[in-house]
Amino acid sequence: MSTDNRTDALASAGRRTRLRWPRAWRSPLGIVGAVIAIAWVIVAFTASWWVPFEPNAQVLPRLQEPGVDTLLGTDGTGRDIFSRLMTGATVTIPLALMLVVAAMVIGTVVGAVAGYFGRWVDETLMRITDLVMAFPTVILAMVIAASLGPSLFNAVIAAIVVSWPQYARVTRSLVLGLRGQNYVIAGRLLGRSPLTSLTVDILPNIVGPMLVLATLDIGAAILLLSGLSFLGLGAQPPTAEWGSMISWAIQNFDAWWLGVFPGLAILTVVAAFNFLGDALRDILDPTGEVAHENQADRAASATGAAA
Amino acid sequence: MHAPRRLAPIALGTAALFLLAGCSGGNSANTDDAEQSGGSLVIDTAFSIETTDPGHTYDPTGNMVAKALYETLVDFEGSDVTTPVPGLASWEQNDDATEFTFTLEDGRTFSDGSEITADDVVFSLQRIQGMVEAKPNFLLTGLTVEKIDDSTVSITSETPLLQLPAILANPALGIVNADVVEENGGATDGSDSAQSYLDGESAGSGPFILDTLDLTSQVVLTKNPEYTGDEEPAYDRVVIRNVTESATQLINLQGGDTMVAMDLNGDQVEGLDDGFTVDSVPSGQTIFLLLNQSPDVAGELANVDLSEAVRYALDYDALLELAGAGATQATGVIPTGFEGALEEGVTQDLDRATAALEASGYDGQTLRLQFPNDYPVGGVEFTPLAERIQAQLAEIGLNVELAPAPFATELDAYVGGTEGFGLWFWGPDYADSANFLPFAPGLKVGLRAGWDASANPEIADLAAAAASATDVDERTEDFTAFAEAMQESGPFVPLIVPGRNIATADSVTGAVYNSVWDVDIAEITPAG
Amino acid sequence: MTTGTTSPAPARAGARRYRARSPLARYLVRRAGTSVLLLVGVTIVTFTLTNLVPGDPVSAALGEGAAQNPETREAFIRSRGLDQPFVVQYLLYMGNLLRGDLGTSLVTGRAVTTDLATAVPATVEIAIAAIVVSLAVSIVLGTLAAYRRGLVTDQVVRVVTLVGLSVPTFWLALVSFYIFFLQLRIAPGSGRISPSITPPPRVTGFYTIDYLLNGDGVGFLDAAAHLALPVLVLSLVTIGLLTRFIRTSVLEVLASDYVRAARAKGLSGARVVLDYVLRGASLPILTVVGVAFGALLSGTVLVESVFSWPGLGTYAYNSASNLDLPGIMGVGLVVGVIYLVINFVVDLLYGVLDPRVRLA
Repeated sequence: MSTDNRTDALASAGRRTRLRWPRAWRSPLGIVGAVIAIAWVIVAFTASWWVPFEPNAQVLPRLQEPGVDTLLGTDGTGRDIFSRLMTGATVTIPLALMLVVAAMVIGTVVGAVAGYFGRWVDETLMRITDLVMAFPTVILAMVIAASLGPSLFNAVIAAIVVSWPQYARVTRSLVLGLRGQNYVIAGRLLGRSPLTSLTVDILPNIVGPMLVLATLDIGAAILLLSGLSFLGLGAQPPTAEWGSMISWAIQNFDAWWLGVFPGLAILTVVAAFNFLGDALRDILDPTGEVAHENQADRAASATGAAA
Repeated sequence: MHAPRRLAPIALGTAALFLLAGCSGGNSANTDDAEQSGGSLVIDTAFSIETTDPGHTYDPTGNMVAKALYETLVDFEGSDVTTPVPGLASWEQNDDATEFTFTLEDGRTFSDGSEITADDVVFSLQRIQGMVEAKPNFLLTGLTVEKIDDSTVSITSETPLLQLPAILANPALGIVNADVVEENGGATDGSDSAQSYLDGESAGSGPFILDTLDLTSQVVLTKNPEYTGDEEPAYDRVVIRNVTESATQLINLQGGDTMVAMDLNGDQVEGLDDGFTVDSVPSGQTIFLLLNQSPDVAGELANVDLSEAVRYALDYDALLELAGAGATQATGVIPTGFEGALEEGVTQDLDRATAALEASGYDGQTLRLQFPNDYPVGGVEFTPLAERIQAQLAEIGLNVELAPAPFATELDAYVGGTEGFGLWFWGPDYADSANFLPFAPGLKVGLRAGWDASANPEIADLAAAAASATDVDERTEDFTAFAEAMQESGPFVPLIVPGRNIATADSVTGAVYNSVWDVDIAEITPAG
Repeated sequence: MTTGTTSPAPARAGARRYRARSPLARYLVRRAGTSVLLLVGVTIVTFTLTNLVPGDPVSAALGEGAAQNPETREAFIRSRGLDQPFVVQYLLYMGNLLRGDLGTSLVTGRAVTTDLATAVPATVEIAIAAIVVSLAVSIVLGTLAAYRRGLVTDQVVRVVTLVGLSVPTFWLALVSFYIFFLQLRIAPGSGRISPSITPPPRVTGFYTIDYLLNGDGVGFLDAAAHLALPVLVLSLVTIGLLTRFIRTSVLEVLASDYVRAARAKGLSGARVVLDYVLRGASLPILTVVGVAFGALLSGTVLVESVFSWPGLGTYAYNSASNLDLPGIMGVGLVVGVIYLVINFVVDLLYGVLDPRVRLA
């Protein structure tokens, strides 16, 4: 989706100030997404207590097919894939959440400052934002991760660097809209400092849309992190990480279970967050989808071609 | 209501069309391949090649290519590297093995049609002697090459050199067309600059000539129309592709894209079904761990007690499992099959390991295990091996952190002796146990472990004795003593001698492994 | 993503004095200015990153081995002005850049510019094919979903596109290679052409076109077949992106008066779709193609190496896994520039096509 679209939609959502959360539960896709996402998050924070094997323990026969003893088989060094897969969640999901939160915080601060103060502050910050967005994300993240040196920590840093600008853009346009609102102006007239005005009058209205944007971004963050690990720029051996598990699966191509399951893990968790985010967007996007659909409704009934 | 209904078939039709286009395209191309490949041979290997100039080459891929482009005075047959046979020349030697006289075979020509003469031989060998920095230079140190007449050359050695004919079979000592090379910067006085010319064109008498060289992707050879030897190639064109991952080689072989895969490991070979032939031999390469003995690098852990702890902490059978079929445990720094090799390798002894660990002064530090992660040796990937070593050492309380790096990056640290704890490999340059003496203190590999001659003069003496022995039985004893001492108090932990597996599709035959040049490409022919 | 700059420039009150000139020209000049600024910015980013490397920058650029030679070291430090202040270093870097000198790759040992000259056409060939395929598929899917809004078809399309956006492409590439090449044997192997076939004489650098120009039908089919699998894999993500957008645009057009009028006149469904709806939605679609291209270029890095496709992606992968900094920065720079140029062209087309800009 174009960022601009999202910006406008969220900006107006922000102005409406009240989020209609319950509608999310009317979307079956949203429910499916929420259930899977919550399940994965629970795994991510509890897996280390209940996985059947230590993720790096090489105690099983090598390259065993999925079966009763080892649910998803074993890898080339006799490690249990199921345990590694679940442990992979404890690596990827918290890091993805953390990086999204970090990007959100940085982006929000930059965007709010730019939008509120305007003039050269705005000009400078937004040109930096444009610059980061002038690169396709994976390319820039790869370049940064490579120049920092391969490690999971550096991959997260690289991902944060490429992720914050979209939050800055959205926040800025929200702030631009809010800045002219009467209650904000009134607050300023009552003698509030710019900082107080920003934190007390404006920021609370931004939090909602930012959280939605973040939900939509978690999937992308997971894809980015596992992609960097696949390239060898993220997790280093023997860390159980989905992207690097896939990368190593190439070594034993005939043992299909090595690569298929980590891929499915990424797919399900990313799809879950995308479903959830998509449902949230529908609800919070009165000018976008919903408006279009109302218009189309009218159009359809006008021509007699009721759907 | 009409519109949607009509749109659906259009949509489906378009989508189907795309799928069809994709699939049928694939199909037709595959049949084309089958028809075309009569004239082309495709070989997949992980490149180590740096040049196609034989005078500078000294690596497996480079030797294989040089073998196809150039001929040597002496040859080996098939995989037997112990019995030299006449190549471009036959020879006689004196009883002391210090004087050798080579007589060139009549009527042999270079790829431009000109005849091979004694001048070419003298130029080719003196050129390498002149290039002090060239990798194969050391093969000819202490030798004098002289022309006797147009078809006779004498080579004399300062010291007895029984293995001289075997050395001369190295493709790096291939005979080049002196006139052509001299025209393009060739010289014997060390000012030679013909390498860039020889990277673009070949100037030899081998069964093939060089078409193109791309160090990162592929080398293409075409049939030498002027070839006069007895190994007439069956293919007009040979494509040697750089496929760095053994798994990809396997896929390409199974998928029919390639006919010869050079770097499959034992597991992969076992997984091959009917329709493929495998030539498995011990490779002569030894994969080992090194523990640096220099206090500058390893600090207070620079002692051989730590090596002993590691040596006895490992479960070698479990490591061997990763290497698959054809691989054997390394019984010492000299691999089985070579003169003086030890009968039995080390077996795990955790008590001894723990005691040695205590003696080493180890105090919970984390050792960084440095290794190349993109260079499988005999198909054995280093990363899983390192992971298993890490897991095994954890059992005696030795903390290891893995530090993988690309071969090209890590090589400098290894050669420079700055690795504290490394996982590397060593292979013989020619078939003789003298190739393993560099592990001694103060010599090439020993220094890479920060182990200078003063660190263990006894072992240094043993190595020197083995190097200068003239009596065969005595020599074997010396090598055995050296190998035993290395296992007792050396900084190296020999792990695995991987198998070497050359897998071929049943459509070709004749790919036989030779430890000097991997495979003689000209001997590969279509089956049936 | 430069979508912020893809919207037509609003006529500013302050720009009143330029009224005499055509608004289109004014728009183009403004847009070109932004692009040049961003271009300079891109070079600053790659330059800064090159200097960010922890450790010895000389070793990073030359490799440990070469860096130990004091002469080579000295020469390198002088040519890059490493002993000079930051700004001077940057100007030297720009100077080298303008001369086409991006340094020497540690992996291939060749000039990075030489390597990129062969890698860029390989990637652009894939990217163009993927854009064509994904546009075709997503126009069909998006229109269908819009017409069937709220019905099962719409829901299915939505799920499919969302899943498409969630698939790790490198994994999909592996799985499809395994299935179609190894198991079913209907797709050809890796690379741009079969190893037994000789590459065409270079004219455009696109193998398919070069084979056609050379009148080599077998070569063309072989090259086209090798394109199929990577293109289909890469298309999936862009299809996900484009379908959602096209659906929205079509819904918008469907609600417009002229389409309602056309449908009321009783024109056939297909004619309305082709003549009115898609034409009306073409402008918004155009703008999102720029964004899709960014996703595509990102995708190539992860997908090409699986298919051993000798393009920017494989080059980036090899450079990254060998920590070949000159190579990586070369890719970063070139991709940044390609992406800028594409978005610039998209904006130009937009400016030319959009009556509000053209005729204002």
